[in-house]
Amino acid sequence: MSFIPIDALRTKPLPRPEDAPTRDVHEILDELEAAGELIIHRVPEPYVEVMTKYGRTKKIPEQMTWHHKSCGQCGHIPGYSTAIFWLNRAFGFDYDDPTDQTSCTAWNYYASATSNAPAQAGVAMRNFAAAYETGYFPIIHCGTSYGHYKEVREELIHHDDLRAKVRDIMAKLGKPLVMPEEIVHYSEWVHAMRDRIAERQVLDFSDITATVHPACHYYKLVQEDAIYDPDLYGGERTATVSALVQALGATVGDYSTFFDCCGFGFRHILVERDFTRSFATQRKIEVMKEEANPDVVLTHDTGCVTTLDKSQFAAQAHDKNVGIPVMSDAQFAALAMGAHPYRVCQLHWHTTDYTPLLEKMGIDWKAAWAEFEEDIGRLERKEIEFLSWEDVGV
Amino acid sequence: MSDRVLIIGGGPAGLEAARLTAQLGAPVTVIEKNDALGGMPISQSYAALTHGFQSAEELTNHLIEGATGQSGVEVRLGSQVAAIGGSAGAFNVTVGSDDSETQLEAGAVIVATGFTHFDPGRETQQYGYYEFPDVIGINDAEKMLKDHAFVTPSTGKPPERVAFIQCVGSRDRQIGNEYCSKVCCGISSKQAIEVRQQIPESRVFIFYIDMRMYGYWENEIYWPAQEQHRVNYVKGIVTEILSKNGRLLIRGEDTTMGRPMEVPMDVVVLAVGMEPSQGTRRMAEVLGLPTNKYGFIETVHDTLDTVSTTVPGIYVCGAATGPADLDDTISSAGAAAGKAVAFLRASVGVPA
Amino acid sequence: MSSAAPAALFTADRGATLSPHSYPDVSYEEKLRLWDEVKADIRFPTYLYGCYECGICVAACPSARFYDFSPRKIAQAAGREDVELIFEQMNDDVWNCSQCFSCNRCPRENSPGGLITILREVAVNNGLASSKEALEGYSRIVYKIMTTGTQVSPDMLQADAFPDWGPGVVDVSDNLDLWRRALPPETLHTTSMSWHVGKETLTELYLIWHYSGVMDMIAEIDEGLHMIIIDVMEETLEDAGYDIEL
Repeated sequence: MSFIPIDALRTKPLPRPEDAPTRDVHEILDELEAAGELIIHRVPEPYVEVMTKYGRTKKIPEQMTWHHKSCGQCGHIPGYSTAIFWLNRAFGFDYDDPTDQTSCTAWNYYASATSNAPAQAGVAMRNFAAAYETGYFPIIHCGTSYGHYKEVREELIHHDDLRAKVRDIMAKLGKPLVMPEEIVHYSEWVHAMRDRIAERQVLDFSDITATVHPACHYYKLVQEDAIYDPDLYGGERTATVSALVQALGATVGDYSTFFDCCGFGFRHILVERDFTRSFATQRKIEVMKEEANPDVVLTHDTGCVTTLDKSQFAAQAHDKNVGIPVMSDAQFAALAMGAHPYRVCQLHWHTTDYTPLLEKMGIDWKAAWAEFEEDIGRLERKEIEFLSWEDVGV
Repeated sequence: MSDRVLIIGGGPAGLEAARLTAQLGAPVTVIEKNDALGGMPISQSYAALTHGFQSAEELTNHLIEGATGQSGVEVRLGSQVAAIGGSAGAFNVTVGSDDSETQLEAGAVIVATGFTHFDPGRETQQYGYYEFPDVIGINDAEKMLKDHAFVTPSTGKPPERVAFIQCVGSRDRQIGNEYCSKVCCGISSKQAIEVRQQIPESRVFIFYIDMRMYGYWENEIYWPAQEQHRVNYVKGIVTEILSKNGRLLIRGEDTTMGRPMEVPMDVVVLAVGMEPSQGTRRMAEVLGLPTNKYGFIETVHDTLDTVSTTVPGIYVCGAATGPADLDDTISSAGAAAGKAVAFLRASVGVPA
Repeated sequence: MSSAAPAALFTADRGATLSPHSYPDVSYEEKLRLWDEVKADIRFPTYLYGCYECGICVAACPSARFYDFSPRKIAQAAGREDVELIFEQMNDDVWNCSQCFSCNRCPRENSPGGLITILREVAVNNGLASSKEALEGYSRIVYKIMTTGTQVSPDMLQADAFPDWGPGVVDVSDNLDLWRRALPPETLHTTSMSWHVGKETLTELYLIWHYSGVMDMIAEIDEGLHMIIIDVMEETLEDAGYDIEL
């Protein structure tokens, strides 16, 4: 009886850019810039090069980043945004947190369709022009924004009339038409930084198992532009977030609904929530719990964190097999580096019980909560107006 | 001037072309880059051929004997064409082998460099070929079937449930191979029958978009597969393969019943399509032959001339021009041999 | 978006439909007009090529598991230009879609989710009752995003708005002001927006809504909402020195 020599068969060849089914968007942008159609906002140095799906490289800026914030994050789970800023500050990186930024408005667009292609592109281009004016390079906090902006980029480079119309609208605002050289998601920055984050790790994660939920809008839209690593998942699933887990010495728990959406639904999570709850519970959380029994669910998008975290409460009332804390890769990385679970990661905004996880990480969350309550006391007594970065040591 | 015909590639197409060319009276040199003749059926250990379930090895050996047994056929193994000069009737070819290079004169050239199997790592559906040992290609399956050892690779035991997924790497705009690879529906059905024969307790499924069972494949293979061998044909391509409880889990839509389905399998066989081989791509460049957008070598007129290239004196046959089954390949090899010899008679004057 | 757009699809006539006429009160001409509006969208050619019913889209679709919904049927109806069926889907099915774009896995490069985005836009633009119904209870969100440039503000975290999110929501809303002050990033020190959006920024946003024709869409789904938003916009634009008729 003979066996297939698995090792010999399974050394995956590196993807070759020549095999990619689409043209390199950088080439197209260069052509448009040369024709005077738009300005390319170049990635500042130093940058890290990462590999995308078809073997092309993508530049991820280290600093001088303009932080394009996410409404759901800043509104409902602000520890997510805080952790992203904290990571930048812990490394001493120069960045901008602008007020001259609107939401990408894609949540509304996908939920209600009360917008159109020129408006969506206009919103995107206004934000990119605002970043360009500051000299800081845009980095996108939300997966939905990221996917939507990739879509907008496709539409603008392939449709001359749309591009003309949007350039016209920008002109009325006194702004040029600017396209960033890369559309960068913050989790790609975390990915590029993962080894340096691991160097500064102060907690032991070797006992921690995390399941990873990759955000649909990160890798399913404009599929060639997402990070893949031949050494992870055989290069067949996006490496973002999973690579970080490994770099921090934790285990990535696999489960059979890895590619399933979380069930956010955009409109559903706001006005038809039984779909979102049912889907998140039955197709994601229960499967993760049964097959991987993880300590934490990690993801890299606002909607996914919200959906997976908030859907578990109602499910408990129906005796569903749930109860895994959910957080972003940024919060996970920050905790690894010793960030305060409340002052920085703001876990009190999360719903599913995260305290067993913190205990397993070796964090005295009771003491941490007492510290935070002291801060609240000082705020109540108006001794301080706000908690500052100084207060959290960065 | 030379009356020699240079045949590039020693697989079924090259062997049949060599045999007939020599039979028609012209001297032949076969250049083969591997250390053995036979092409894909031998190097990839094919089991039974789709037509008639004949042993691939026996049939290929027959082709090899047919060519080498003919007087006037010279074979150079471990050799490749490095460069070509001159023109039809008087080509000057540089042949490289190990570290040395030799010159060769030829009046006509027949390219028979064939195909390679699509690498499932480039698939845009989530099949995990490089993650899961139990996800294999039809090429991997042939090896096991030839040894009568069709097993679940991770356990070494015969599988209970086997799924074939059609059109992997073909009919796909995302991958860039929009064409149909022609042979995979027949091959998968043949393999499904073989699995059912070798493992009578097994349940075998074929997930397809269309079943392309041309001509006699319909009654010789498709109907018997369903009726005698109880192979389950399900319209709906699988999109994801993951692992659950130590087994593979496949996910697709059962379009007949109009609902999503996810079921466990022990082995999943990907019906990987045909792409031009490295040899075909290289020879197209070296010989200056136009290729289509997929890299296959183009002929002058699709229907009326399936073997002449745009370069006078250079012919092409077999899967180097596009997906082809063995019947197609043998036919086109004969056509190439005939045209090459006819050309030599008209231009060089020999063979008489 | 790789290959060139296919040749123009044939012009549908009444006989092209294979479906029963489920909305007999609406004329065929009206249904055809809506379909023509869908096809006129610039994105349409790259969202629909041909469909060979492989079922990959349905297999990947989260809504297909919960609703009687099939992205394959959306692509099929569109490919057939079955105007009757398309109108039915525009009313009954398109709001089930999660807009996750898992269906972009389509080997023909169709995007059923993308087709649905356009179908929804056309439905909203034309004030279809089903679109108003689907967006019932959603108007406060539209108001928030259009006037503040952020979609969900901290002060929306009320127990009566999100009862199924657990007692944590009560904690948040009880402590909202203090907890927002306990956030180090300066831009987050607000409860009425997700982060502080500058006045000039809002001015630019309102101009974008105006110039791109979005306000007309809002008027179609909810006139009252439209009026409130226009009021806010007019005030800000006036302050910024713009003399524009909204």
